[in-house]
Amino acid sequence: MASLIGFYSLVFGLFFSFLIILFSIKNLRNTNVFNNNLISLTFLQFLFVIISFFGLVISFINSDFSNATVFNHSHTTIPLFYKISGTWGNHEGSLLLWLVVLTLFIFLFLLKSKNQTKQYRILTLLFQQIIIIGFFIFIIKTSNPFDYIFPVPNEGLGLNPILQDPALAIHPPILYLGYVGSSIIFSSTLAATSTNYISKEWAKHIKQWILISWIFLTLGILLGSIWAYYELGWGGFWFWDPVENVSLMPWLALTTLFHCILVLEKRLALTSWIVILSISTFTLSMSGTFLVRSGILNSVHTFANDPDRGLFILIFLFCLIFLSLFVFLFFFKAKNENTYNFFWLSKETSILINNWFMMYFLTVVLVGTVYPIFLEVITSEKISVGPPFYNKLIIPFLVPFLFAMAIGPKLKWIKSDLKNKFNLLFFLIISFFISALIVKKFNVNFLVNTILMTSVFYLFFSTLRDFFISKLKNLAQNVAHFGFSLLILSILLNNIFSSEIIANLKVGDTYETEKFKISFENIKQKKEQNFEVIIGKFNIEFLNGDVETLRPELRIYNQPNIVTSEADIKTNLLKDSFITMNLVQNQNYFNIRYQIKPFMIWIWLSVLLISFGGLKSLFKKKYEN
Amino acid sequence: MYGKKVKLRFFFVLLILFILILSVFLILKSLEENVVYFQSPTEIKTLSEIDKKKIRVGGMVKTNSVSVNEKEVKFIITDLKNEINVTYSGAIPNLFSEGKGVVAEGYLKDKNFFLATKILAKHDENYMPPEVKAALEEK
Amino acid sequence: MKTKLIPSALIIIFCIIFLIFYKGLQNSNIYIPKNNIEIDVPTFNATLFDTDKEILSEEIFKNNKFYFMNIWSSWCIPCREEHQFLMNLGSQENIEIIGLNYKDKNQNAKKFLKEFNNPFKLIISDIDGTIAIEWGAIGVPESFLIYNKKIIKKIVGPLDENSLLEIKKIIQ
Repeated sequence: MASLIGFYSLVFGLFFSFLIILFSIKNLRNTNVFNNNLISLTFLQFLFVIISFFGLVISFINSDFSNATVFNHSHTTIPLFYKISGTWGNHEGSLLLWLVVLTLFIFLFLLKSKNQTKQYRILTLLFQQIIIIGFFIFIIKTSNPFDYIFPVPNEGLGLNPILQDPALAIHPPILYLGYVGSSIIFSSTLAATSTNYISKEWAKHIKQWILISWIFLTLGILLGSIWAYYELGWGGFWFWDPVENVSLMPWLALTTLFHCILVLEKRLALTSWIVILSISTFTLSMSGTFLVRSGILNSVHTFANDPDRGLFILIFLFCLIFLSLFVFLFFFKAKNENTYNFFWLSKETSILINNWFMMYFLTVVLVGTVYPIFLEVITSEKISVGPPFYNKLIIPFLVPFLFAMAIGPKLKWIKSDLKNKFNLLFFLIISFFISALIVKKFNVNFLVNTILMTSVFYLFFSTLRDFFISKLKNLAQNVAHFGFSLLILSILLNNIFSSEIIANLKVGDTYETEKFKISFENIKQKKEQNFEVIIGKFNIEFLNGDVETLRPELRIYNQPNIVTSEADIKTNLLKDSFITMNLVQNQNYFNIRYQIKPFMIWIWLSVLLISFGGLKSLFKKKYEN
Repeated sequence: MYGKKVKLRFFFVLLILFILILSVFLILKSLEENVVYFQSPTEIKTLSEIDKKKIRVGGMVKTNSVSVNEKEVKFIITDLKNEINVTYSGAIPNLFSEGKGVVAEGYLKDKNFFLATKILAKHDENYMPPEVKAALEEK
Repeated sequence: MKTKLIPSALIIIFCIIFLIFYKGLQNSNIYIPKNNIEIDVPTFNATLFDTDKEILSEEIFKNNKFYFMNIWSSWCIPCREEHQFLMNLGSQENIEIIGLNYKDKNQNAKKFLKEFNNPFKLIISDIDGTIAIEWGAIGVPESFLIYNKKIIKKIVGPLDENSLLEIKKIIQ
């Protein structure tokens, strides 16, 4: 029943798209006032999509296995919470969620853009509807979440156990808000380009939307990363997996775009650059979807794949690219810009420089992600690109990037000088000494680490100082930049000081190193709702007499029959102790991995701080308006 | 005045071009060095010389070939045509088991011995890495 | 000249990218597994349908021969359709058919067997459906071909002529 309602509301939603297009074109030609019925229509469309989405949620809650999506991704014994989160833990459901966000954003956009011109609003609506129609057809034709099965099965196939996790339950909705949120930037930019409305006012208005997407995207990536840290059991937080890259690319583009918008708002410059960036942000989100969903890439996220789906997204993606190229090439009129007249020492120059760095990082990630595909098609050789590639290409360029990030915000718009900037030099010397001290005490690779750490500390101190002297004038920017320096600093320290041991132990064994002794005390078994657990107890004795007890788990799920390992992590401000145990087939041994990861919590906190900076900036603008 | 502006613009474009070429060069060069090739046991048997580079070997874990001691795991990867002995000391993914597909990353000692530094796991029991699938299908 | 050069270059570049992705799409696709091949038979306790006696799963599948386990129920319509095939299979010599009576009333099930004949050597009851979960069963009817304590084939949905033929081929 719920499935049926869901399906028909979906079809109604599509019908409304055509209705909206019809009315907007009429409205575009005839009058000079925006037809407010369009807002109601958009709201109705959103309503139908939401009803459809809840239809699916209800089918999942009721374990209605006559619905193919539920059957494939649920089971009666799964806890209710994961039944619900299973709704978007699969290809069909997550696309429905895309559609929810797409329609929600255009509705909100129309509500919030009452001061804008009629042409611009209607065109944005039209472009957005093109995207929405594409997704409607995609869902209904190739991935209908309401397909039914007869005879009705009594049990579902179950939800992949690694998705049964609180962080991963909320990760997709948050990420999609960011991912799909960029669609509104895309539509609005195309509309602004075709009505020749790229201006300071436009910058002010679109900035909020960029910020909203950016905040959600940041938080979404953070959640995914935290999940990977404790669930995958490798103890890392970023693996340069294609799926991670695919979320990082729009983030880089969006961050760049945001900084450019600031320049546009102040100086009416970089207009063509901004149009290109807005288009590429959404295009990158879409390509990400394509790469992940088509199975063309090899990654930890395995969606059920179907070549038809891949082909559809591919064609749709390129239609959008060509559409935006067409709009950009034929309608874009450059304002009397002064891009080349930037004074070398000014805020906008430093933003521009950092833009170039961001674009460089983006290119590196892009090339690393798609190169294997290209190579396989051309030479049919199978390869993979590993973390060393990214580390090698990105880390050296972080140094000037961080310096520019530290100095840039202190410069004035248009023209600045270096008077009263002696403290900059002072900080440089301090940072250098601190880094040299830290690195020398612990590490072998002196030169690289010192230089990198100097630049991080430099940004760290100069943003820290700003908290006190600038009287919180530019708090949002300051918090975000400070958070970024903290992030890089924690990652760096984490990399330098992490240590791990891996051993195969039987129950009762002990493993000794110079610094500590791990003893495998015992194992216990327990039965939970839809899995059995084996809990190991490990005592870790340190030289100084401290004893730590960790209890990692092995979970054996009933359906699908999969073993997962749950890490046990003891977190404090300075370090995480992280232990996982794995079963070795047909043997008495357990594979134990014990890691000490310093400053892990600071990595998470700093990303939170960065997104808080974005949030602050969002609200600041609200007050001013 | 006008001439100066044009000159400036010219230098600007030249600078961008230079940076662009430099970064493309850097990326390509680093790609070449850091790419990991995938090979099946059969392909390794037919190698003329042993490369020092990191590679990935994929196939099936041969039944009854896994043996474990405190430090390391030993097993045999087979593509049902040829085999290779693997020694590995590191974290073992849960889905690693006999008769299932596996991809190991590491270095070749010779044509029969492979020193793995990482075993790649996928999070679905039925998942078979495409490389392994292709290697198995070729037999 | 310049104005036309850039657009056409861009369009050509994007077309090439499109083609490469298109080719890549056909190239590699993720392995789609055959249904659970060679999985160990799960272990469980069950009550016998006729006598209400407890039985261990090891006892049921103890011999090194082919077993065919069929999940059925009197309320399941497709089960009626497949019954003739089960009878046919039951007449074969080298296979033993086990029934798993799923979420059923004893009375109704007995009536069902009376009406359509009984192909099963042994029937176990699964009143709350837990045993079917152990087997990873999806619905009714569903059947498993077992040899040497391993599930070698799984058939979701009712048996038909093709699947019957296939099973006969395997057990030869």
